[in-house]
Amino acid sequence: MVDNKISSAPVKYDNSFAKEIYALENGHYAQICMQCGMCAVSCATHDIMDYSPRRLFNLVRVGKKEEVMRSNTMWMCTACCMCKVRCPRGIPLVDVMHDLKAMAIKQGYVDYPHAAFHQAFWQEAFSRGRVFEGGIMARFILKRGLGEIKKLLALGMKDMGMGMLKHGRVPLVPPRKIKGLKELQQIIQRAQALQEKEAK
Amino acid sequence: MAKKTGVFICSGCGIGESLDVDALVKVAAKECKAPVCKTNPFFCGAEGVELIKQDIAAGELDCILVVGCSNRVNYNAFDFGPSVTVERVNIREQVAWSHEPNDEDTQAMAEDIIRMFMAKAKTVEAPVPYIVEDLSKTIMVVGGGMAGMTAAIESAKANYQVVLVEKEASLGGWLNKLYKLAPLKTPFTSLEDTNLEARINEINSNPNIKVYTSANIEKTAGGPGLFDVTIKQNGSEISERVGAIVLATGAVPYDPEKLGHLGFGTSPNVITQSMFEEIAKKGTIARPSDGKEVKKIAFIQCAGSRDAERLPYCSAACCVESMKQALYLKEQDSEAQAYVFYKDIRSSGQYEHFYKAAQTAGVIFVKGDVTGVSAGNGGTLVIEADDILMGEKTMADELDLIVLANGMVPTTAFTEGAYVGCGVQVPEPEAGAEAAAAADAPVPAAPIIKSNILNLVYRQGPELPDLKYGFPDSHYICFPYETRRTGIYAAGSVRRPMDMVQAIEDATGAALKAIQCVEMTAQGAAVHPRAGDTSLPDFQLNRCTQCKRCTDECPFGAINEDEKGNPLINPTRCRRCSTCMGACPERIISFKNYSVPMIGNMLKAFEVPEEDEEKPRILIFACENDAIPAIDMAGINRLQYNPWVRIIPVRCLGSLSLVWINDAMSRGVDGVLLLGCKHGDDYQCHFMKGSELAEIRLSKVSETLDRLGLESERVQAKTISIMDYEEIPKMLAEFMEKIEDLGPNPMKGF
Repeated sequence: MVDNKISSAPVKYDNSFAKEIYALENGHYAQICMQCGMCAVSCATHDIMDYSPRRLFNLVRVGKKEEVMRSNTMWMCTACCMCKVRCPRGIPLVDVMHDLKAMAIKQGYVDYPHAAFHQAFWQEAFSRGRVFEGGIMARFILKRGLGEIKKLLALGMKDMGMGMLKHGRVPLVPPRKIKGLKELQQIIQRAQALQEKEAK
Repeated sequence: MAKKTGVFICSGCGIGESLDVDALVKVAAKECKAPVCKTNPFFCGAEGVELIKQDIAAGELDCILVVGCSNRVNYNAFDFGPSVTVERVNIREQVAWSHEPNDEDTQAMAEDIIRMFMAKAKTVEAPVPYIVEDLSKTIMVVGGGMAGMTAAIESAKANYQVVLVEKEASLGGWLNKLYKLAPLKTPFTSLEDTNLEARINEINSNPNIKVYTSANIEKTAGGPGLFDVTIKQNGSEISERVGAIVLATGAVPYDPEKLGHLGFGTSPNVITQSMFEEIAKKGTIARPSDGKEVKKIAFIQCAGSRDAERLPYCSAACCVESMKQALYLKEQDSEAQAYVFYKDIRSSGQYEHFYKAAQTAGVIFVKGDVTGVSAGNGGTLVIEADDILMGEKTMADELDLIVLANGMVPTTAFTEGAYVGCGVQVPEPEAGAEAAAAADAPVPAAPIIKSNILNLVYRQGPELPDLKYGFPDSHYICFPYETRRTGIYAAGSVRRPMDMVQAIEDATGAALKAIQCVEMTAQGAAVHPRAGDTSLPDFQLNRCTQCKRCTDECPFGAINEDEKGNPLINPTRCRRCSTCMGACPERIISFKNYSVPMIGNMLKAFEVPEEDEEKPRILIFACENDAIPAIDMAGINRLQYNPWVRIIPVRCLGSLSLVWINDAMSRGVDGVLLLGCKHGDDYQCHFMKGSELAEIRLSKVSETLDRLGLESERVQAKTISIMDYEEIPKMLAEFMEKIEDLGPNPMKGF
């Protein structure tokens, strides 16, 4: 866990960033957080987050945009929904985290591999209508640069990858695209447009 | 007196299976010579009750011993009218259910209980209710604020005459000062109008309510049903006779002059909540210094409250008030920023929804301790605080206005305008000091603050005794509205700090209690906790030594004095706790169905085995309010405890007479245990000081025991509540162990 010190200067309240967040689709939920900390104690990945969800919400309120947007909190969220289930105020934290991720990507704040992976996965799904693991890997490495391969190998991913190939868990040949892919893409695009419209 | 006692032994509910009922009959009929003694497996059933009724009619019985279950159940079944005294002899919960069946000791216990109650029955008489002439059922409400108005309307709706006394020229109290109210109804999210005019109209148009405004109470004499109140209005005096009083004089804001550490006085822009209401009421929320519209505001919660040096308690309403006031600003300008610096948000009850609504409106809540308030640029203010949730120093600057949530202080905490409620010692009234010096029993006298509200003509003092911080004392769990003056019920923020919703509820509750009081008084019966009890203490005044202990120790101020210093009871004020009976060193106070000799006979009636039988006896005096129910609960849960105990229920441990302990010890009883309620600031005693008084008296018993050559550890007092019933077997076992260590009482057999 990183040092939780935000800065040495006294925190000043600036609500312009908070307003930006509240304008997101689920952002307004951050307003009704009462800082009880139930999310933090419920979170399975809390230990590896920069800030617990409670702290993240408080940072939003205080107006610490840099800290929030660059934090890994939302990227470490596994969407297990435990916090959402337990929140006494009924805040769907998972959805808020999702909005924060989208915003961070959109505003170019992110250099977490998670973000690249999310994007690679999504592009793959969007272009085929189904997922091809090899394609995801290729996209991911292209996004992150070739240096990422070294890192993956250092993590002992080589053996795992070979094993999966051997057992046919990862196909070498891309699968066929689905029928009606165009329509699917239209549906998705429409949904995205609607979402943006609603958030405003 | 000629008395015919009938004994009816029930063998149902497992009694017959664990006890030899025929042997019990033998004890009652042969040994104790009861003229009628019957058994039945189901006395509480229609048939059983009919059997008893027939016997009452045939044998002209005037006392009935129902030997079976506890008096906490089936009390309606065994009610045979006021002329027949019914004593319930509990051999179900206290014997059959809590001891080994068909055991010699269990049987002995049941037989002893019958012997004890037969001894009591010899002198028990049916009490005669005290019926008052010229009784008034009018309810007087003191204070015309939210609580007072509600109490008046509710009582009037229940068809009681109401006298409403308000010291200001118009009704409304605190409502007059408010711009709007926090929500009073579901969904508890939006501000409400005070609706004051409609509320006042409702009172003025109600023919049952008589309103005195600009009026003070000169004096209040008498007791429930008989209060003679002198009201002073515009220089003239008016007399009213009322039955009960609801005290709803409310609270006032804590003096902000003492909040210099939060910047009060340093800038005109640091104001209190009530000052903010004034500003909001005028229209635009602007800075008092230069009239600039407020764009950024901060509220500091717990200003003075929850502060050991100022008000140690939580003022309960300020959190919600600050949310409300923050919403005033948001109403004026939704872009304006509002910060609330809090210790804990205590938006009790449904106000959680209001808290959420305030958050949704954009009010920012900061959990932090304010460390400083200083001046910033251009007439603005700066708050520095330790943000607890961030673990950081935080700062809110460019504030136009700072509002201090400066808590509330009850109106009963003032003497001639000076606050004496908290930490300030009230000089003891001379009479009290004298009495305390005269009597060697140091009675912890309840402080009475002369707040000039009711001006009671009571020997014990002019107002209600307080417990802490100037709030009138009440049994906060069981009888919150009861003050320590029977017939006077406190409601609203004079009772404890509270918000409007609670005040409305409180006033309704207190009005109901006042109605109960006048109705019970009309029947000559006590109000709770001994509701319905018609017995009254009799004083044998020819033996009175004017020691004043009864007048001092009566928790409800029921006893006045005549010119000679003799006690003079006000029967309608009496709550029948019999604390006076235990207090009287001459033992001249007794009730028709409860007296020192009566209990004395009981403890002389059970058998004390010889030393060589190795069966010690422990006598327990158990308070009927909590200890007896706890013992019953132990039985209901089939917890097994020592069969060598003999339990005598007492009305309150405050009625404990030391002569009982003396008598028990000289009979050879090995130990005496007093079971009563918790005492202290958060006491549980239903009569305020009963168990405390018993312990004070007990501290003197060691002398007596020494005289008898006994160890003082043989007599102990323990506190217990109904929740502790599981502890009883352990508690008794521990006491028994101690007694066994001490060995048998050497007085045995003398």
